[in-house]
Amino acid sequence: MSIKVLFFASLADLTGMRETEVDSRAHTSVASIYTKFARDFPRLEEHRASLLYAVNSEFVQPDSPVHDGDEVAFFPPVSGG
Amino acid sequence: MERYSRQVLFQPIGREGQEKLGRARVLLVGCGALGSVLAEILVRAGIGRLTLADRDYVDESNLQRQSLYTEADAREGLPKAVAAVRHLREINSAVEIVERIADVNALSVASLVQEQDLILDGTDNFETRYLLNDASLKWNIPWIYGACVGSYGLCLAFLPGLTACLRCVLQQLPPPGSSPTCDTSGVVGPIVHLVAALQAAEALKILTGNLRQVNRKVVTVDVWENRVATLDLSQLNRDGRCPACGQRRFEFLEGAHEGRTQALCGRNAVQIWRSSPRPVDFKPIAERLARLGPVQYNEFLLRAHVDNLEIALFRDGRGIIRGTQNSDEAQRIYAKYIGN
Repeated sequence: MSIKVLFFASLADLTGMRETEVDSRAHTSVASIYTKFARDFPRLEEHRASLLYAVNSEFVQPDSPVHDGDEVAFFPPVSGG
Repeated sequence: MERYSRQVLFQPIGREGQEKLGRARVLLVGCGALGSVLAEILVRAGIGRLTLADRDYVDESNLQRQSLYTEADAREGLPKAVAAVRHLREINSAVEIVERIADVNALSVASLVQEQDLILDGTDNFETRYLLNDASLKWNIPWIYGACVGSYGLCLAFLPGLTACLRCVLQQLPPPGSSPTCDTSGVVGPIVHLVAALQAAEALKILTGNLRQVNRKVVTVDVWENRVATLDLSQLNRDGRCPACGQRRFEFLEGAHEGRTQALCGRNAVQIWRSSPRPVDFKPIAERLARLGPVQYNEFLLRAHVDNLEIALFRDGRGIIRGTQNSDEAQRIYAKYIGN
């Protein structure tokens, strides 16, 4: 009963994790998974309003539901050029 | 057409696509790292006209990745728009290339986007990108977002009316300082070329009329972590609630900056405008500032070092003060050494 969670770029640096898992029974939405990690890594809060959220490689809104077996990914946009 | 024979042989472009390219007009905003690569690919591909807008000048620290520029450009302290156009004309003299040494902002964008078929993003900040998004929607011109920092970057093409817009995808402007920039976290050359290549491929599709081939996914790449990932946007619910593409409220276009200064995020620099732009005579300023530290100037730009800061002054009076992020300090320095 698990959901795979992927952190990209600066989010992987902030959490020290590229990939991890959460218990699918504890989470109903993408946002609730993010909140769980933001408790451990408070700096994630700064990024919350301006992230790209994906479930199974599809762009979703943060309130989107998650299910057992899903892959949830968090991508920071960047501005360099 | 011999020059373009290999591109014409590529069946999805062909002779017809090449003719379309030859009539295409492209605005490139920002000619740093991504912009260098984008400009070169499109000029070599034989577009009709490239308008190149950039507010900065060539610095030695650019040379590691900004592939159009040379040591001589950095030594001369040439504006990037000027140096880029010189090199691009040597690469393909048949392309009309228009240089604009200018900051692209809510005041200047309207005249720049007129009669353009495509806007390419070579900028280094979110604010200008939200502005380009508004301009794209208002004047119905596709634009292609590209950005990178460190070893990671992303690309996404926006087609007004056909795809989501930047504000559908990223509803809020990321708070200043919240995300790393090339000046705070560095960047490696390969990710620049990769992201610009992705953008340029979308540009060629759009300009040759191959809209169905345009990638509707965000492509993200990290060349150090060995990760490539895409986000499919086709299910994004465009329910008309997006302030920009749904309600056509163009807040970034309307927010013509009233302030006279702008911190250049992550660059430890402040840009400053004169209330009424007028041509500046560099000679007397250079003579005055030479007593305080090293000064150099050419026909486009004056650079001086005073109080551990670097002042760059453009012909129209626009200045970039490096070494501070404090607007008040920048205004004080400008007033003290340049005058009002």
